Amino acid sequence: MAIILAVESSCDDTSAAIAINGEIRANRVATQEVHARYGGVVPELASRAHQEALVPVVQAVLDEAGLTLAQIDAFAVTAGPGLMGSLLVGTSFIKGLALSLNKPLLAVNHMQAHILAHFIDAPRPAFPFLCLTVSGGHTQLVLLRDYFDFEILGQTIDDAAGEAFDKSAKLLGLPYPGGPLVDKYAALGNPKAFAFPISKMPGYDFSFSGLKTAILYFLQKQQQHDPQFAVTHLNDLCASIQHTIVQILLHKLQAAALDLGITRIAIAGGVSANSGLRQALQQLASAQGWELFIPDFQYCTDNAGMIAMTAHLQYERGLFADQLLVPDPRLPLQPKPQA
Amino acid sequence: MDFELKQIESLPALAQQLFVAAGECKIWCFNGPMGAGKTTLIAELCKQLGVQEAVSSPTYGLVNEYRGGAQQAIFHFDFYRIQSLAEAYDMGAEDYFFSGDWCFIEWPDLVKDLLPAQVFTINISILEGSTRLIRTHL
Repeated sequence: MAIILAVESSCDDTSAAIAINGEIRANRVATQEVHARYGGVVPELASRAHQEALVPVVQAVLDEAGLTLAQIDAFAVTAGPGLMGSLLVGTSFIKGLALSLNKPLLAVNHMQAHILAHFIDAPRPAFPFLCLTVSGGHTQLVLLRDYFDFEILGQTIDDAAGEAFDKSAKLLGLPYPGGPLVDKYAALGNPKAFAFPISKMPGYDFSFSGLKTAILYFLQKQQQHDPQFAVTHLNDLCASIQHTIVQILLHKLQAAALDLGITRIAIAGGVSANSGLRQALQQLASAQGWELFIPDFQYCTDNAGMIAMTAHLQYERGLFADQLLVPDPRLPLQPKPQA
Repeated sequence: MDFELKQIESLPALAQQLFVAAGECKIWCFNGPMGAGKTTLIAELCKQLGVQEAVSSPTYGLVNEYRGGAQQAIFHFDFYRIQSLAEAYDMGAEDYFFSGDWCFIEWPDLVKDLLPAQVFTINISILEGSTRLIRTHL
């Protein structure tokens, strides 16, 4: 029996979670709801704001799980990748707790946690499986042979998939973050209205930068004749752009699945909320006979629940960190040797 | 100084000229519309500084850190998504700008009050087709 308190502060959001024997009992992201309990609004800014949000959000998950700090068996934190200032707040805080309470410390890789979020709730994928992690900052295709035995098959060489959505939205005159808006308007448009090029990258790598330029040139050309083109064709443009981004992702996913003979497919990260991606993936999965895994949305965006889950798996294997832990903004995703 | 870039193949030569034009200045600001090629140019500059890994856009993460030759640190910023100066201040932007390390900054408008007095500014505009006008000043 192990009770783990985990903190995630790698980018904008401050989050805390509690896992009891690998089961997530509380998972919170500092939001107005948490702020309201403490009588103040905590601006959602990075490092300096994490300092303000951290204690309330940790207290909130302890209360929700009905625990006190003295009952925690181990403390876990995101060690990277992320923003240095933001990571430092989380790691300093958790190291302080572990040291003062004389409990072990667990350092978790944010990208690995996105993948291992699939083990929080049933149905859990059996090994081996392929995981496509798509978020605002990352796009990675990973082959999992076991929890800590995996291989990165491909990743983006320029923009992340989430950025491709946000930047396309900007070109269309939509506000940031435009990804969810593109999704919304795409539902009303024709995905085949306009054809944008699908990047041809070697192996299983992705590229979205060329799409951005293609959209820019296309709009410039159209707007010479019709200055209102992006406005009057917004739904069709959003649908066509979304279709192209989804095709870029699914082409590589399908190629890897076929090449490796793998039929268990998982997606992770905030962009997995995109309805176009979900729909296309579900169609492809039924056509290919894939077993598809998509975590609950609260475990797709940045959250400490996935950190607690990964920390629990590390705890079982004795994969502890020590007080010399220093966060690494560029922490690579690499297999951990078994202790 | 003005440079005209007609094809992407000339990018390495342009990058070399920019290093000469910037002199000792290591804080570079990149202005230009979406799709102008700011990240593409920065990727070439990083390559010439000895960065081996892929240079990608840090819009979501705000800053990427790379290591060039002799382990020199290179920070690549993108302030496109921030809403106020306070956000840049809160992520510790100043600490990076005054670190003495290379800083390549996309969408610098919102953080101009945090920048050192001397910066090397690069304005990229899109001429017809794939031609770019690159206008610099120190």
